Amino acid sequence: MTTIQKGTSAERTAENQRATFISPPHQLSFAGVLRSEFIKLTSLRSTVGLLLSIIVFGLGVSIILGLTMAEAGVPAEPSVGFMLDEVTIGTVLFGQLVAGVLGVLVICGEYSSGTIQSTLIAVPSRVRVLAAKTVVVFLAATSAALIAVIGSWAVTYPMYAAFGIEVGLTAPGVVFALLGAAVYVGLSAVLGLGIGTLLRSVAAGVATVLSVILLLPIVLSVLPASDLVRSLHLLSMSKAGDAMAGPADAGGGLLDLADGYISPGAGWLVAVLWVGVFIVLGAIRLRRRDA
Amino acid sequence: MIEARGLTKRYGHRTAVDAIDFTVLPGRVTGFLGPNGAGKSTTMRMIVGLDRPTAGSVEVNGRPYHEHRAPLREVGVLVDAKAAHGGRSAYRHLLAIAATHGLGSARVREVIGLAGLDSVAGKRVGGFSLGMGQRLGIATALLGDPATVILDEPVNGLDPEGVRWVRTLMRGLAAEGRTVLLSSHLMSEMAQTADRLIVIGRGRILADGPIEDIIAGSTRSVTRVRARDADRLTATLAGPGVVVSALPDGALEVSGLTAEEVAIAAAAAGVVLHEVTAVSGSLEEAYIALTAGEVEYRSAGTAGTGTPGTTITGTGARR
Repeated sequence: MTTIQKGTSAERTAENQRATFISPPHQLSFAGVLRSEFIKLTSLRSTVGLLLSIIVFGLGVSIILGLTMAEAGVPAEPSVGFMLDEVTIGTVLFGQLVAGVLGVLVICGEYSSGTIQSTLIAVPSRVRVLAAKTVVVFLAATSAALIAVIGSWAVTYPMYAAFGIEVGLTAPGVVFALLGAAVYVGLSAVLGLGIGTLLRSVAAGVATVLSVILLLPIVLSVLPASDLVRSLHLLSMSKAGDAMAGPADAGGGLLDLADGYISPGAGWLVAVLWVGVFIVLGAIRLRRRDA
Repeated sequence: MIEARGLTKRYGHRTAVDAIDFTVLPGRVTGFLGPNGAGKSTTMRMIVGLDRPTAGSVEVNGRPYHEHRAPLREVGVLVDAKAAHGGRSAYRHLLAIAATHGLGSARVREVIGLAGLDSVAGKRVGGFSLGMGQRLGIATALLGDPATVILDEPVNGLDPEGVRWVRTLMRGLAAEGRTVLLSSHLMSEMAQTADRLIVIGRGRILADGPIEDIIAGSTRSVTRVRARDADRLTATLAGPGVVVSALPDGALEVSGLTAEEVAIAAAAAGVVLHEVTAVSGSLEEAYIALTAGEVEYRSAGTAGTGTPGTTITGTGARR
């Protein structure tokens, strides 16, 4: 009996269009997707913690190096190369790993929790989701690393000044190298994002990103040093990072495989290439496979 | 409005959804009923583009889901209750999804209130019970105030109060002229909530129509009668197309005659009747009849149509 009543009431309302709706200006936009990804990144303790740890590691290592400079050996005169080494090594070394893991978590955390379904239902064009994630994770990791390197420079400046070897930001190549160090950390995060999108698993993603950044150069360095192995080593992701965070050799050119020299500019290119390959592979998998 | 044409999904050699056609109309609640593994979730995932059809197509409100400029305003979906990160608060989760469409905290607070999540909105989703997870999923589905609502097993894990809330909500949304599609393997839920049914088994559509038609088409209507002299009544009723069978408890089950016809015939013959009851099938009976042989995972001994006993008790409750 009840079902019959329901049938008639449904027929009565069938001609009605939906009675309520949200005003038309609200629609899907890339700015909205960017905002959404920013909210996601900043609303998890894990991702915020990783970002903060980039700053903590970066500053910490520089301060320790600055404080122990006397025992480690102080150059006779101000050296841009020495200063950049000491100021960026913590941010680059730890930051690349932390950012890589961050990139993996940003996408694989969605797969493991099921959030990816909510995300893709709201934003059906999947490449747009990946693009927004790329922008947000790159800017977040780069910003954290920039705070770390500029902060490191500022905090250690008085320590260098005590030995009369302080180097200002206006010295040739300094700003470009600090920016390079920060951008490299941002690119590492995007590398992690690309690998994570490709593999969809936190464990596999983290293992792979650490292998690419950390293990590959080690493996290449213990292999018999043929020309090919040496060239590959020079073109690895982490070597590119070292180059981006360092000064340019005067007259060193862009890249000299025979001599084993890679300039900051070539470092940028090599790192972008590594990241580009994985993010494109990730985008293809994201588009083609069921969520 | 949802329209599927030849919609097919194959995983290797296994066909999960087998070239199905169906239309879900606005203004009513359409139930998507089938055993586990029948293809309900896969079909729902294809509607919103989470899974890509192997063949065929499905359109929502006149075009493929991904072509809409504001997908959340067209379709609200609950596919998986735990589609939120355990480390994020319910409020932040909803805010992130809402932000894609430029919706702000005002709308988020509205759906939180609608879903009864006010007290836990700031808590992390990881600590939610299954029922709270379902409420969050439904809140997510309603964010964009969608014209079409698709809910996969929405009452799973809900307490009786929650089940009633979902039922009222679904009927309210349909009454506003929206398209409502909900899946369930619970027949009692469907009988109380849905106007129309699409019954699916092993990826094929077994029945599609108003719920009463499906029950009428898949079950038989009989008249149960008790008489002081059963043998004389049996002889009286005998005729072409009339089958009278004796039930274990002494009652007779008559098919081919209505309760009224049985009573008139008995009165004419002077047979005293103790009871005359029209017995029509239940949704449960219809469902079991329809899905017999289509159930993917079956326990031994539960196959086939219902026993006469279940027919009578089931129907008794409905009348």
